Amino acid sequence: MKETLLLTKHMREFPENSHKIEIYENNNGYDALKKVLKEGNPENVINEIKDSNIRGRGGAGFPTGVKWGFLAEDEDRYLVINGDESEPGTFKDRILLERDPHQLIEGIIITCFASNIKKAFIYIRGEYAKPARRVQDAVEQAYEKGYLGKNILGTNFSLDVVVHLGAGAYICGEETALLNSLEGKRGEPRLKPPYFPAVMGLYNKPTLVNNVETISSVPWIINNSGKEYSKLGVEGSTGTRIFSLSGHINNPGNFEIEMGKSFGEFIDTFGNGIKNDKSVKAYIPGGASAPWFTGDQLDIKMTIDDVANAGSMLGSGAVVVMDEDTNLVYAAKSIVSFFAHESCGQCTPCREGTTWLEMILERIASGRGRLSDVSLLIDICDNISPGLSWPPKMTTICPLGPSAVSPITSLLDNFSDEIMNMLPTKIPIAQ
Amino acid sequence: MTDKITINVNGSEISTEPDQLIIEACEDSGIHIPRFCWHKRMDPVGMCRMCLVEIDTPRGKALVPSCTTKVSEDLIVDTESEVVKKAQEGVLEFLLINHPLDCPVCDKAGECPLQDQTMAYGPGESRFVEDKRHFEKPIPISEIILLDRERCILCARCTRFSDEISGDPLIEFIQRGNKTQVNTFPDEPFRSYFSGNTVQICPVGALTSTSYRFKARPWDLKKVSSTCNCCSVGCSVELNVSQNKMLRILGEDNDFTNQGWLSDKGRYNFEYLHSDKRITLPLLIDSSTQEVSINESMDLISNEIFSHKKSSVSFIVGPNSTNEEYFALNNFVNDLKEKNDNSENINIYFSDDYLYKGFFENQEKLGEIKDLDLADTIILWSQDIKDNLPTLYLRIKQAVKNGKKLLIFGHTNTAIKELTEHYFGEEIINKNFEFNVEISEIPDLEEFILDKNVVAILGKSSPIQDVEPITELFQYLNEKSNLKVLNAFSKGNTFGALQNIDCVKGLNEFVNEFDESKRNLVFTIGANPVNNSVLSKKIKDRLIMSDFVVALDMFLNETTELANIILPTTSYGEKEGTVTNLEMRILKQNKILPVPGSALSDWEYWSMLLNKIDNEKLFESEIELNSLMCDEYIDKEILPSFENLNKPQNLDGILNFKPINIEIENINLINLEMLFVHRLYGDSSSQINSPSISMLGSERFIEMNYATYFGSYMLNNDVVTLTQDDVSIQVNVYINDSLPDNLIIIPINRRGFQNLDPQKKVELEVANSREQLSVS
Amino acid sequence: MSWEKELIEKANEIIDLYPEKRSALAPLLYLAQERDGYISDESIVEISNLVGITEVQVKSVASFYSMYKEEQTGKYLLSVCKSISCEINDSRSVIDSVKEFTGLENYETDVDKVFTFEEVECIGACGGAPAVQINYETVEGLTPQKSIELCEWLKEEKPEVVVAEELQNMFGGVKSFDWAINDNTGSSYSVPGFQNIGTAKEKRI
Ligand SMILES: Cc1cc2nc3c(=O)[nH]c(=O)nc-3n(C[C@H](O)[C@H](O)[C@H](O)COP(=O)(O)O)c2cc1C
Ligand code: SF4
Ligand code: FES
Repeated sequence: MKETLLLTKHMREFPENSHKIEIYENNNGYDALKKVLKEGNPENVINEIKDSNIRGRGGAGFPTGVKWGFLAEDEDRYLVINGDESEPGTFKDRILLERDPHQLIEGIIITCFASNIKKAFIYIRGEYAKPARRVQDAVEQAYEKGYLGKNILGTNFSLDVVVHLGAGAYICGEETALLNSLEGKRGEPRLKPPYFPAVMGLYNKPTLVNNVETISSVPWIINNSGKEYSKLGVEGSTGTRIFSLSGHINNPGNFEIEMGKSFGEFIDTFGNGIKNDKSVKAYIPGGASAPWFTGDQLDIKMTIDDVANAGSMLGSGAVVVMDEDTNLVYAAKSIVSFFAHESCGQCTPCREGTTWLEMILERIASGRGRLSDVSLLIDICDNISPGLSWPPKMTTICPLGPSAVSPITSLLDNFSDEIMNMLPTKIPIAQ
Repeated sequence: MTDKITINVNGSEISTEPDQLIIEACEDSGIHIPRFCWHKRMDPVGMCRMCLVEIDTPRGKALVPSCTTKVSEDLIVDTESEVVKKAQEGVLEFLLINHPLDCPVCDKAGECPLQDQTMAYGPGESRFVEDKRHFEKPIPISEIILLDRERCILCARCTRFSDEISGDPLIEFIQRGNKTQVNTFPDEPFRSYFSGNTVQICPVGALTSTSYRFKARPWDLKKVSSTCNCCSVGCSVELNVSQNKMLRILGEDNDFTNQGWLSDKGRYNFEYLHSDKRITLPLLIDSSTQEVSINESMDLISNEIFSHKKSSVSFIVGPNSTNEEYFALNNFVNDLKEKNDNSENINIYFSDDYLYKGFFENQEKLGEIKDLDLADTIILWSQDIKDNLPTLYLRIKQAVKNGKKLLIFGHTNTAIKELTEHYFGEEIINKNFEFNVEISEIPDLEEFILDKNVVAILGKSSPIQDVEPITELFQYLNEKSNLKVLNAFSKGNTFGALQNIDCVKGLNEFVNEFDESKRNLVFTIGANPVNNSVLSKKIKDRLIMSDFVVALDMFLNETTELANIILPTTSYGEKEGTVTNLEMRILKQNKILPVPGSALSDWEYWSMLLNKIDNEKLFESEIELNSLMCDEYIDKEILPSFENLNKPQNLDGILNFKPINIEIENINLINLEMLFVHRLYGDSSSQINSPSISMLGSERFIEMNYATYFGSYMLNNDVVTLTQDDVSIQVNVYINDSLPDNLIIIPINRRGFQNLDPQKKVELEVANSREQLSVS
Repeated sequence: MSWEKELIEKANEIIDLYPEKRSALAPLLYLAQERDGYISDESIVEISNLVGITEVQVKSVASFYSMYKEEQTGKYLLSVCKSISCEINDSRSVIDSVKEFTGLENYETDVDKVFTFEEVECIGACGGAPAVQINYETVEGLTPQKSIELCEWLKEEKPEVVVAEELQNMFGGVKSFDWAINDNTGSSYSVPGFQNIGTAKEKRI
């Protein structure tokens, strides 16, 4: 098994300065843009993207070409790049922002050309200080070189790009929360309907929201054609993906591979095995929101559909491996506490439910659990995500609330003895 | 009218308007879906998740909030399935885990949806064994509102109200997630004319009013619907009384008028009813003040009237009587004129500086408030709408939100400038309220009115102003557009007085027609023209010169001070009758309080005096008066009878019309230096005797633009002494850059300003220290 | 104290980048934080005037985001990650040693205003767990011992600018990937060191 370097090619070849415009330009950078501008046919660009069958890399896996097709007509339309990457375990957009910002910018310009957009925003999480600096510098260079601004490369296409920093709120990765945040409001997800960004987005104007990795793929697709791209990977999960591998791993990191290989193979090949030669007790296949798989499920294929069929999601492409010694109650608590901290607080089940779950797990972890806690945990989860099925049903506005349910059901479904062992064996006599 | 569609709820078909939300459609068909955050007058937010229902979708059943999901043809809804019940119980449990168990001391207990729904859907015992969220117990967030964040369930009703409806977003969510709380900015209290509405719509006891705190339990309250008399919008209210004390006024949702909202003045201006300063017996003032019986006082007055047949008799009426009372007065006056030899010397004057002829001639042109929702353009030239017709301001704001264009003329209404498409201030209208340009030449006017549906809200901006330009504007609009006009007289039941009194004159007429050489008898009826009017000084002189003055009032004031006899009267809540609002809609006021002491309603005095003229005549009751009044209506189909108006479906009243006769001259001055305006809060007897809000009208301030402030006077302090001749007052200065240069705004309903001459300059001098600012 | 003229000019330039003023709230709040080390009430008043919303609306937004601080931070903001990848790689011990060294609990600042300590959620350095950020500059692959050395060094050297690569080389271990090689840019206070508008100002549409 080998990596297939589409998006991470430059940075592998030029570890020190792949972010510089000269390097980018000298290695076919901005060729795709030139090609597109020369052809001058936005339709073609959209068709290439449709042909590629690329699905969004932000987590939901929505077909990108289809999304672009939904964009409503309006004089003002916007592109917003989702670089909020905050899903625990995920650090793949970071590498694209920090190490190959021009690839993203070229993707942005082509996307905007294809959809007749004159203003784009790159929303980067505030904690990504260095990546944001690099992107900002790259934007400045792109302006200097005439790739951005008025009359790009002498054509009558013009585009402004603004780099916008988030300020510490995971929920702003959810696209409508992100738009609120960009409007200078609290990062609270909007109601869908009516707020589908492609129809009613930023300032209530039609808006495309796409992930960093999705848009970074655009130049390659244009240079090599959508058809070529669609040959990579497997049907339904075409192309490559950058997977972030972390946890109890000898060689953690970001690895760009074609989708379709098994998790086990991936972990062995690139992760170089588990630390201290331990075995895998459980792993998270797609970021902290995703239900866990056990060490017995390592042969599941890394495709959007295979993972979904097995009851979880490929999500943000973050694989977190937990070895046989991991205390899974602590692990679950950490994830639940993440979601409780990041709940925006507008809807009741998420605001109150996630915190309550956190409190109970905290109590159990500190040895103050009660026998009734397990059924209570399940019932609270059920009140956030009725039926505890996958994909989750929800009593909430957005999927954040139900995300806090995943680790608990994962724990109770496969590792219930871990939690039972932390509960008192006898019913204590009333004090 | 759009075609109805059919949906299926819990197995039964119901018919509904398309585009409705499921929760509304169900509500209209009598199916109640529990909810906390949804409020029919505000945009849905779907936050509390209490209203979840199941609907059938191509991908199976889905749980959706009924407050954000619209109906569609043949939609199948289940509001009672096991899944729905479980979800609702879950939400309720979530809300309760952090809710304090202080129902026994909570004002909301007994009318609390959270409490009710806990009984109906809630879990029995709490499974929450952790610590509840804690916040400092009630904190004052303004002079009149308290906030208890522990009780708050974060439904965002208050924050949405202040942002969407009243437009002063001073209360907001702070923090996020489980730490979220509602709060204000430390130095920026929740000072809004409409803050009380948030108390009413808060589904729990998180927001409470200082005036109602710990006063009563809902089950002890007697309630009656009525109509507020604070301004001429005629807001529907519910009066809440316990042990014969008015404790609270709530807004009722009347689609024609207030849609449930009230201004804080309308809501909290009632404590005076039970003030021990109220006059409860007739007072005779000779060398000393002595209480007399009603009979004695009537004898004295009738003697004054009838023993001098050539007397001139003037009635200065205020705006707070009922239609029936104006009707009774009018009858009495007509009889008196017949009896008296010089009928032209018997006159009724209306105590409102803003009165002028208005636009009443063409009945079809008279608009309704509802027309604002249908208009393309709203034109406003009047006194400050937010201060004088506050709930009409909310309707205008809503109309603007829905895309109507607002154009403002004049130098008032600066507070709502941000809502306007065009503000025609100084460039178009000079300091003296004259057009600087031809109306037809005004840039950007024609495009907004030509062949459009226009609602014009017209009235004088200030007591001292030439009304000619407003008339010109009216004529221009009338020519060019499809016009509806709302006459913007703002005081209480002004329109009832105009409808029921044959001929109404203004205070200026009283001053001018006053003939010293005659014997003068003056009645003031619920009016205090010696305060609050630009003519106060002159009126005072006239009253001093009068031979006999009878004052009907509830409190002693500047006017009663000059009276020979003071007759105690009643207030709204203590009498039954009708009032007419600015769209000529007749609305009912109901009685729920006993009358204090020997006080009588105006009509009873007129009835007794009438009886003295002609012992055949006597009005027996309010009902009788009402039916006599109805007899005079042309349209017998829709009579504003008590019976009609008391039917719940007629809560909104009936539109009817009688010709109006205002005989008034312009007060036309030039070289204005000061613009007198009326603010919502002032120091009227009712307000200063309502402790919860008395301080809101106590500040004395003036407004001017930056250039006037710095340019002319070189001040750098915000407290100044204002001097003109022998008048000298300390005031705060506020900068208002929408004003023309060298024009100073003066709030006429705050004491101390009446003696200023609007045509003369005033001197401003920096006050030595803030402490000197007298707040009375 | 109200904002300096240059700061207001800069704020207005940032406002001009956006179709609607209010969008500039986030960058303006960073300006405020850079100036005072936290979001002061005075800055809130200033910003509310600049973008035309009420003070409490500014406060509402500022308090939603965890990077805007309510109290003044120290010269170095120590943010130790506790999310899943770090948690299972024993970030707890790193947290404990930093706490012990600085004597600070979560969100506390020492009296000399040198350190502010906070436990944070995932900072996107999961491959280099356990990871920390100093003024939002990332250091990966820490150990309890190295984290103490890092604090000691900061306390002694008091660098004006914190440079991630420098710290990584001195105190870090395994990295998420080969990031930022030979990059000597850094942050100078508890805000991401980042200019919203640069030289390309005139080239914008
Ligand atoms: C709670 C939540 C957090 C999310 N966080 C991110 C994120 O950090 N980055 C991202 O690109 N998408 C995130 N998403 C997905 C976005 O809502 C959206 O689907 C995505 O940005 C669309 O881009 P794509 O089509 O290119 O994937 C998140 C979604 C949810 C519900
Ligand atoms: S689920 Fe949580 S994060 Fe999503 S809207 Fe509701 S409270 Fe906010
Ligand atoms: S009433 Fe529908 S979510 Fe609150």
